[in-house]
Amino acid sequence: MIISQLGYYSLIFGLLTSIFIFFNSSIQLKKNSPIISDKITGLIGFQFFFVFISFISLIYSFVISDFSNETVYNNSHTTKPLFYKITGTWGNHEGSLLLWLLVLSGVLLGFIIKSKNEPSNFRLLTTLLHQIIVIGFFVFVLKTSNPFNEIFPVQTEGLGLNPILQDPILGIHPPILYLGYVGTSIIFSAALASMISNYVNKSWAKNIKFWILFSWIFLTGGILLGSIWAYYELGWGGFWFWDPVENVSLMPWLSLTALLHCIVTLEKRELFKKWTIILCIITFALSMVGTFLVRSGILNSVHTFANDPSRGIYILTFLLVLVLLSFVIFVIYENKNFTQKSEIFVLSKETAVLINNWFILYFLSVVLIGTIYPIFLDVILDEQISVGPPFYNKLILPFLIPFVLFMSIGPSMKWIKTNFKIGAKSFFVIVFTLVLSFFTVNFIGEKNVFILLLFIGFFYLFLKSLDQLREKTKNFAQIFSHTGFSLLLISILLNSFSSKEIVKNIQVGESFILKNEKIIFKKIAIEKEKNYESIVGFFEILDDKNRIINLQPEIRIYNEPEMTTSEASIKTTLFKDRFITINIIKDQNFFNIRYQHKPFMIWIWISTLIIIMGGMFAIFRKNKEVNI
Amino acid sequence: MKSKKLSIIKIIIFFFLIFINYNSIAKSSTYSEEQTINITKNLRCLICQGQTIHESNSDFAESMKKFIKSELENGKTNEEIFSSLVEKYGQWIVYDPGISKNTFLLWTLPLLLFLIGGAIIVKKIFKKI
Repeated sequence: MIISQLGYYSLIFGLLTSIFIFFNSSIQLKKNSPIISDKITGLIGFQFFFVFISFISLIYSFVISDFSNETVYNNSHTTKPLFYKITGTWGNHEGSLLLWLLVLSGVLLGFIIKSKNEPSNFRLLTTLLHQIIVIGFFVFVLKTSNPFNEIFPVQTEGLGLNPILQDPILGIHPPILYLGYVGTSIIFSAALASMISNYVNKSWAKNIKFWILFSWIFLTGGILLGSIWAYYELGWGGFWFWDPVENVSLMPWLSLTALLHCIVTLEKRELFKKWTIILCIITFALSMVGTFLVRSGILNSVHTFANDPSRGIYILTFLLVLVLLSFVIFVIYENKNFTQKSEIFVLSKETAVLINNWFILYFLSVVLIGTIYPIFLDVILDEQISVGPPFYNKLILPFLIPFVLFMSIGPSMKWIKTNFKIGAKSFFVIVFTLVLSFFTVNFIGEKNVFILLLFIGFFYLFLKSLDQLREKTKNFAQIFSHTGFSLLLISILLNSFSSKEIVKNIQVGESFILKNEKIIFKKIAIEKEKNYESIVGFFEILDDKNRIINLQPEIRIYNEPEMTTSEASIKTTLFKDRFITINIIKDQNFFNIRYQHKPFMIWIWISTLIIIMGGMFAIFRKNKEVNI
Repeated sequence: MKSKKLSIIKIIIFFFLIFINYNSIAKSSTYSEEQTINITKNLRCLICQGQTIHESNSDFAESMKKFIKSELENGKTNEEIFSSLVEKYGQWIVYDPGISKNTFLLWTLPLLLFLIGGAIIVKKIFKKI
C-alpha cells in the first residue's frame, strides 16, 4: 500500500525534476559556459533515481503480492514462483512502460557521464531535447498507464500471469530488448542537438557510435532471446514467423545496422552527414512506431484499438510531434551543417556503404509496408488480408543474393579509391564456393537454381569473411560480425530446407518412425508443481545407430489463470535438434505427438551470438584507431 | 598461367550446365504428406492467435487438415484449394496476400522505393562536381 504510494510520488518527483533540468540547462545554454555544472548532472541523476525507486516499488509490490495495486492484481498470483513475480513486473502494459521510462532516463544519465569531453552546448541541447521525450513518457505513464492505481476493496488473490510468459528467457527478454529499443532515443536527441550546435563532424560521429553500438547489441540480443523463446515455447519449432510484433523489433534493428555503417563513413570521411542525421531520426521514430503498434493493441485487430484508443492516440500524437520537431530543426539548420561536398569514386568504401544502406533500407521498407499495409487496408476499405512469410520471402530472398555479394567485397574496399586486384586467391574462393554450394544443394535434395544461387551467395560471404578475418589491416570486429551473419543465413537456409517432421496420434506403448529413427511412447506420468499440474510423456528415440535418446515433453495445466500449455522437449546436438511436443486430444486415449528434426538450430543461435560479439569488440577497442 | 585461367572457365561452364540441368527436372505430381504441410503452413488458423493451420491443434485446424487431405486425394491442385478457401473464408485465411487490386501497392511500393534509392545513389556517385 505505502510502497505503491512511494512509487507513484516518486514518478511525480521524477517529472518535476524535468522542470529543474529544463530551467538550469536553458540558463547554462544562454551563458555559453564551456563546462556544464555538476548541478545538471546531479539533477539527471536524481531523475533516474526517482524512476528507479518507482520501478523498485513496483517490483516490491509484485514480490509481496500487494493486491491493492491494480497492476499487481491483474498480472500476478501468490502461487507464482518468486522469479516470475519479479519478471511479471514488466510482463504487462503498465510495468513495461515504466521500464521504458527507466531506460529512457538511464541512457541520458549514461550519455551525460560519457560525453564529458564534448562541447557543453551540444550536451545541454541533447539534455533539453531528451527531456522532451522524457516528459512525454512521464505524462503518458501517469495519465494513461499508471502502474500504481489502487483498487478497492482490496482483493485477496490476483488474476495471474499468462503461463506462456512464465519462462526464464522471456523474463529477461524485455529488459534486454528495451535497452536496445529505447537506447535509440539518445541517438535521436544527440543527432538533433548536433545539428543545432553545428557539431555534425568526426568527433560527434566517434562519440555517438558508442550509443549506436550499444543499442544495436542489446536489440540484437533481445531479438535473439525472443526467437529462442518462440522456438521452444510456442511448440512448433519455428523461431521467426514474420509476426507484426517481431517485425517492429526488426525495423529499428535494420535501421540501426544501416546507421552503424553510415556513422563510420562520417567518422572517417565526413561524408553522408545529412543522411546520417535522417537515419538517426528514422531509427527512433521506428522504435516509437513499434511502441505504438504493440501498446495500442492495433496489431491484433483494429477493433481492439477502437475499444481503448487513448493510449494509442497519445503515442501516435507524441510521435507526430517529435517527427515534426525533428523536421523543423532539420530544415532550419540544414544549410548550416551540410554545405561541404566531396566526390565519391565508384570503387570505394563510400560506395560500398551507400549500397549497404540502399539494400538495408529496401529490406526495411518491405518489413514496414508488410506490417502496416494490412492495417490501412482494414481501416480504409474494411478488407482483411494476411501478410505472411510468402510475401517476405518473395520480396527479400532474391535481393539477398546481390546484397551478400556486395557485403563480401565491401570490407575489401578502401576509403576514397580502391584499385582492384583479382588474384589467384579470389578465384580459389569462387571455385570453392561453387563446389561447396553444389554439394550442399545436392545433399539436402533441393535441386532448384534459386536455392543454389542463395547458397552460392551465402557461402561466398562466409568464405570471403573467413579470408578477410586473417588480414590484420581489416576491421576485425566488422568482419567477425559479417562472418556471423553469413553463418546465420546458411544455418537458416539449411534449417528450413532439411527440417523433417511427423505428426501422429498414438496411445501409450505405440511407436512410429521418422527417417531411420524409431520413436517409442513409453509411459505417462502426472506431476504436481506449485502453480500447475503437469502430464509428462516419456519417449525413447532409437536413432540409426541404435542409441537411445530420452525425451520428456509436457502438457502443463496452469490453474491461475486456467490455461494449458505444451512444453517441448528438445535434444540439441551440433548438427540437429530433436524436438518433440505432446498434446491432449479431447475425450480420447490418444495423444497428439509432433516429432521434428531441426538441423543446425544451435548454429542459428551461435551465429547470432557471433554477430553480437562483433559489436562488443567494436565497443571495447574504440580507443585503438583502426581503419575499417 | 593462361591454361590455369582456362581451366577455371571450364569449371564455371561445367557448373553453369548443371544449373540448366536442374530446371529440367520435372516435379512429381502425386500428392504427398509434404504437399499437405506446404498448404497448411500457408493458412491462418482463424480461431487462434497468429498461428498457422499446420501449427495449431485446434478443432478448426484439425478439420481443415482433413479437408485439405481429401481435396488433394480428389486430385485438386494447390491453387484450386487456396482459391476455394479464399472464396469461403476471405483473403484473411491465406498468408500469401497474392496480387490483386487491393494488394498491388503492397507489392510494388517496396520495389519502387528500391528503384528510387538506386537512382539517388547513381546520381550521387556519377555526378561531376
